[in-house]
Amino acid sequence: MENNTGQHNIINELKERAKELNCLYRTQELLWDKEKTSDEILQALVEVIPQGWQYPDICFARIICQDTIYQLPEFTETKWVLSSDIISQGNIYGSLQVFYVSESPECDNGPFLKEEEKLIKTISELIGGYFFHNQLKSVFEASKKKDSKKEWVVIIDMLKKTDPKLLMRISRKMVNFLCWKGISEGEKLFDFFNPTNGKESVFNKEVNSPFHAKTESDSYLISNKIFEIASKYLNEKEIIDSISRWIKQDQSGFLVNILSKSPITLNEISKALERYYHFKSQGLVLTPIREKSLRINLIRHILNDDNNFIKIAKNFVSVDDFKDLIDKIIYPVDSKGKLGGKSSGLFLADKILQNSRLSDDLSKQYKIPKTWYISSDGLLNFMNYNNLEDIIDQKYKAIEQIRKEYPYVSHVFKNSLFPSEIMKALSEMLDDFGGNPLIVRSTSVLEDRQNTIFAGKYKSLFISNQGTKMERLAELTDAIAEVYSSTFGPDPIEYRAERDLLDFDEEMAIMIQEVVGKKVGKYFFPAFAGVAFSRNNFRWSSRIKQEDGLLRLVPGLGSRAVDRLSDDYPVLISPGQPKLRTNVTLDEIIRYSPKNIDVINIEERSFETIEIAQLLKEYGKDYPIVNQIVSKISGDCVKPVQRLGMKPNEDNYIVTFTGLVNNSTFIEKINSIVSVLEKELSYPIDIEFAHDGDNLYILQCRPQSYSKLGKPSVIPSNIPKDKLIFSANRFISNGCISNITHVVYVDPIKYAEITDYDKLAAVARAVGRLNELLPKRQFFLMGPGRWGSRGDIKLGVNVTYSEINNSALLVEIARKHNNYVPELSFGTHFFQDLVESGILYLPLYPDDDGCEFDESFFLNSPNILSNLLPDLEYLSSVVKVIDVIAVTKGNVLNVLMNSDDNKAVAIISEKDVRIEHIDSVKYNTETSKSSDFHWQWRLRSVEQIAARINPEYFGVKNFFIFGSTKNATAGPCSDIDILIHFIGTSKQKEILNEWLKGWSDSLDYYNFLKTGCKTGGILDIHYVTDEDIKNRTSFAVKIGAITDAARVLRIGTDLN
Amino acid sequence: MSVNSYNLFQTAQSQFDKAADLLELNSATREFLRNPMREFHFTIPIHMDNGEMKVFRAFRIQHNDARGPVEGGVRFHPMETVDTVRASAMWMTWKTAVVGVPLGGGNGGVICDPHNLSDFEQEQICRGWVRQLVKNIGPNSDISAPDIMTNSQHMLWMLDEYETILGARYPGAFTGKPIEMGGSQGRIQATGYGIMIAVREALKELNIKINGTTASFQGFGKVSYYAIELYQKMGGKVICVSTWDNNENRSFSFRKKDGINLEDLREITNIYGGINKDKAEDIGYEVLSGDAWLEQEVDILVPAAIENQITDNNTDKINKCVKIIAEGANGPTSSKADAILNKSSIFIIPDFLANAGGVICSYFEQVQNNMNYYWDKDEVLAKLDVKMATAYADVSDFSRENKLGMRDSAYVIAVDKVAQACHSRGWV
Repeated sequence: MENNTGQHNIINELKERAKELNCLYRTQELLWDKEKTSDEILQALVEVIPQGWQYPDICFARIICQDTIYQLPEFTETKWVLSSDIISQGNIYGSLQVFYVSESPECDNGPFLKEEEKLIKTISELIGGYFFHNQLKSVFEASKKKDSKKEWVVIIDMLKKTDPKLLMRISRKMVNFLCWKGISEGEKLFDFFNPTNGKESVFNKEVNSPFHAKTESDSYLISNKIFEIASKYLNEKEIIDSISRWIKQDQSGFLVNILSKSPITLNEISKALERYYHFKSQGLVLTPIREKSLRINLIRHILNDDNNFIKIAKNFVSVDDFKDLIDKIIYPVDSKGKLGGKSSGLFLADKILQNSRLSDDLSKQYKIPKTWYISSDGLLNFMNYNNLEDIIDQKYKAIEQIRKEYPYVSHVFKNSLFPSEIMKALSEMLDDFGGNPLIVRSTSVLEDRQNTIFAGKYKSLFISNQGTKMERLAELTDAIAEVYSSTFGPDPIEYRAERDLLDFDEEMAIMIQEVVGKKVGKYFFPAFAGVAFSRNNFRWSSRIKQEDGLLRLVPGLGSRAVDRLSDDYPVLISPGQPKLRTNVTLDEIIRYSPKNIDVINIEERSFETIEIAQLLKEYGKDYPIVNQIVSKISGDCVKPVQRLGMKPNEDNYIVTFTGLVNNSTFIEKINSIVSVLEKELSYPIDIEFAHDGDNLYILQCRPQSYSKLGKPSVIPSNIPKDKLIFSANRFISNGCISNITHVVYVDPIKYAEITDYDKLAAVARAVGRLNELLPKRQFFLMGPGRWGSRGDIKLGVNVTYSEINNSALLVEIARKHNNYVPELSFGTHFFQDLVESGILYLPLYPDDDGCEFDESFFLNSPNILSNLLPDLEYLSSVVKVIDVIAVTKGNVLNVLMNSDDNKAVAIISEKDVRIEHIDSVKYNTETSKSSDFHWQWRLRSVEQIAARINPEYFGVKNFFIFGSTKNATAGPCSDIDILIHFIGTSKQKEILNEWLKGWSDSLDYYNFLKTGCKTGGILDIHYVTDEDIKNRTSFAVKIGAITDAARVLRIGTDLN
Repeated sequence: MSVNSYNLFQTAQSQFDKAADLLELNSATREFLRNPMREFHFTIPIHMDNGEMKVFRAFRIQHNDARGPVEGGVRFHPMETVDTVRASAMWMTWKTAVVGVPLGGGNGGVICDPHNLSDFEQEQICRGWVRQLVKNIGPNSDISAPDIMTNSQHMLWMLDEYETILGARYPGAFTGKPIEMGGSQGRIQATGYGIMIAVREALKELNIKINGTTASFQGFGKVSYYAIELYQKMGGKVICVSTWDNNENRSFSFRKKDGINLEDLREITNIYGGINKDKAEDIGYEVLSGDAWLEQEVDILVPAAIENQITDNNTDKINKCVKIIAEGANGPTSSKADAILNKSSIFIIPDFLANAGGVICSYFEQVQNNMNYYWDKDEVLAKLDVKMATAYADVSDFSRENKLGMRDSAYVIAVDKVAQACHSRGWV
């Protein structure tokens, strides 16, 4: 049934197009009919034209031309009219109108189709052309009569009659030309164009009367004179060539005039471009200089006005490139908006790849998905239209209020209406897109204005784009409204506040892209997608160089590749060294293969994350290029698959991308794309891409951001020797850890001397226990050789990932031994865990030239291991725990790492010192926000809780605080560690727990409003009994401990 | 490394010394068995992918071939040392002896990190390995098998190079091959089945009917899976298994007091070896902490995950009902825990013996290769049953007769068999 209607629609549409074409042919036939007079032709046209319209029976045409009206006798004027001017050589000759005499169904523009708008325009152009042709004919006929005249004289005559202004401009150019040639007669003619008529000194005098304006006859005379002089000195060909060149140039003059105007609306630009392309199709050629000036102006007005951007873009973008772009921009009336950073970045990347001389055939290697844009002022327009101006002030409110009110803002936005012209344009856009899912992405103008990268700060939403046109439109506007509302979300506002960008109006453009992918069963997704970085800051092998780049690849939609994943892993490949894989053994390969895939469920019209194993079971053979994506687990290794040989229900398949690396040109392609972009833009970049199985699509290109994956630190140049603990200069990644309070140091020499297996294993377990005990991310681990080694235990401390997961940094020390430096692991045993959880890795070669290593700091500082874990005292000579604050008398350690300089340092520093790091390659610095806020309110709140505890009622003897709140190091997501010395009954404990849970939840909510972090109960409560304290078991060790001793708080001081 | 550092070979030697003392071996035999018979130290030059030439150091240690051609792994490791390889070779000699297969012990390694090598470069190393050793290895002299960071693919590269040089097919020179390339049926079941065959024999001696016994397993990988399969076939009931949860980075135990259903659990186990907690609860399993498997009221504990799981810290948590601990993993019991358990009534089937099914099957693979006639799975498993049961009986009889622990007995029998063979050959 539905199919039949669909077919019916298509047939109807085709019929309409056929009618229109027929109408055009008949119009042309009439206009070329040499037998008929123009009156006859125009009268015949009003009969023919209505045949091209959807309802010819009720359609009438009228042509008004220089006071004459052509229409049929039964013509009546109504309100349903479509009209177009008849223009010839820039002059309006009249107009063509088409009327419906009675009401007919609503279409694109009233009762008219958008194709009909085009049709009427084309017909009026044809009529205009007819008039021009007639004029020329009469001029030529006149000139034939006086055949003595030279050709250029004919042209001048013609211009006099048709376009006197153009004649004046050309005459002026001829004067310039004569002067250039050094013809002194010509120089005299300058005076004519001088409003003061050559009275040189006139500017020096006061003149009260207006200058005498030149009359038209003056002009004709002077142009005659000019060309007479010209004919004396120049031959006829030279004159004609010059005239025709100038006429062509002059046609583009309007573009220059418009684009140099400021401000200029997108509508004006669009109209001007349309005229330009029209002339161009008739043979208009721009001079290189004019082309360049146009190009730069277009870049400035539409893409980005940043000088650095223009400097690069002007070498790759041509005026013609804007032809398709401008048609795909949706903008409010009088819009002066731009496309935003993301869109212009992608546009430029595309042009670079097409035109770069660094590589020949890149343009065939990739595609850009079909993209439409909403200009940056669309947001304000939307808000004005719905009277939402008040929300603009939202950004000045306190962050907790913003967070609290954000759901409301979002709700209001989603229930607001879009202006009708935008709705109309969106509807056209949907027709253009067809039924593929879409992604609505924000693209902020602030991104280019301030060299900041708002990576992931604003929303990007996938929409299924399924159902009826109305449903699709509703889904689309809903998504746009939601993306708009994300501008007023707490995270971007906080981010802007930190960078002093709050006072700028947020101009947020929207980019609507077709989602790359294929339909597989009820799902829609690309075969794979990912992010490619031109610089690799996470090297898992010493053979990989920084410029070898990095790919984060995932099956399905790229959303999983962009951010760090907490529960899954993307596949990492270095495109410069694709055969050096992160994972080698079957265990590693299985453990670190992606488990989930993001898809669009077409049936449910939703974005979903599903298990890849399940998807492969259901649709394994239909998955696009499945043989390049997955491998089969076969015995003790993984094997390539053939689609036909797949047995999805029997065999186990995992995502490895081995086929892609070994049997496709993808890696080569992406490598050359990334390196060409980096070279041409002259800064490191990252691109997002997706592959539907047939083609590679580039979705985004921007300067390589460090926001998610570690920023390079600025390494201070002159660190006092007594402050420097160690420095390193090999295989350094980017990052910075600050406020380190403890270092766990496994002494390489002492470790090597252990002769007993159990003791070696005990070292690893000791590290695991310290990992639980020390403040999270405020300590780091240093040890010999290979952490997590699964082979010979003496090669490195054989911890598992869960035994180091609270550390901030892992340092592997390679000490030279008999001219032999052991090979380090680069964290390969849990490399991907480290990457995804943001734990830094640093290889240290203390015996290298140029490396500092203050061994005495590690050997001579007091060891607090036995205070923390009394039962492990026997390991004290091997495992050293250094309390940095105690040793340095109140200072902390900061480790700064910079991959670009290949340098890292650990320095003793004051707490909360401002650390400079590089935000993006465009090098602006950011200061870390004071962390005082987080611990201060936590401590105040806990003091309040303590004050309200009734010791008898709850059975509490003492109340302690420890950990980050006490140490003044709490971060936005820290919990509050509380220790309660409990002496009551189990009933009392139950009541106390309930009571504390109330506090815990409400403080958690408060913290959420402030920071956006949810911990699910902020209080971390530990109980100790008398017995614990006596035996110093459990958390009782915290009481009176050497490090991070619990501090007692007074209880019961405020019981009412 | 310092002379005093922990050294695997020294550990292996001192274990040997202990057995030699018990056997009162003469000094020549001791000297002979304390050290490998032959060692090859060589280099493998290869062209790297970027055209650069690199040289890798490698070893092959043939500890003893008195009872038959040596068999042992080839490992790739960046920090490989000859002593580690020597120790592994020696242990292989004892392992083949204790299960009574006519093989000796060897081991080898290349100092390299596969994380730094492309597949093609690894293939070059494998081929280079064979080119250097071709005269000294083969189905009748020295058989290689996969080891740390090597797998069946590496074996096939080596085999291909070996056969290319010699111009004939010698599939028995390398084991651990896929079935379609000459591997043996039943390999996947061998280790797990072997454990439970030993348990069955132990129960017989303890006069307990296997029907009605209960067991708890640590680990739910291949070894556990097939051990449980056989155990359930024989009438036993598994009430608890523990697995590692990759998402939460900790392990959990899954208990069903009326017995787990292997197929149900397999349905909800991902290929990463983890059981889905929520789904397990849905189908009636209790989800307990990771070490709860150890505390269950069962007859048999099977630690089949990783080393060092039963330590002096948790021996007291083992339920009083437990009668047998069958060591499916390598070294799951620490030496301190071992001492404690030896004093208890719990009967330990040492790893050495319990997980020897793999070695036996590897031997079967060679046998089938060499006669170019292949058995079906049932035949392989039946032969495995005979071998395991015999080996178990030998160790157990010896243990009873000499009032020696099972672990020591296994060691002593092995050393004795090798020493006898050397003696018979007139070597010492």
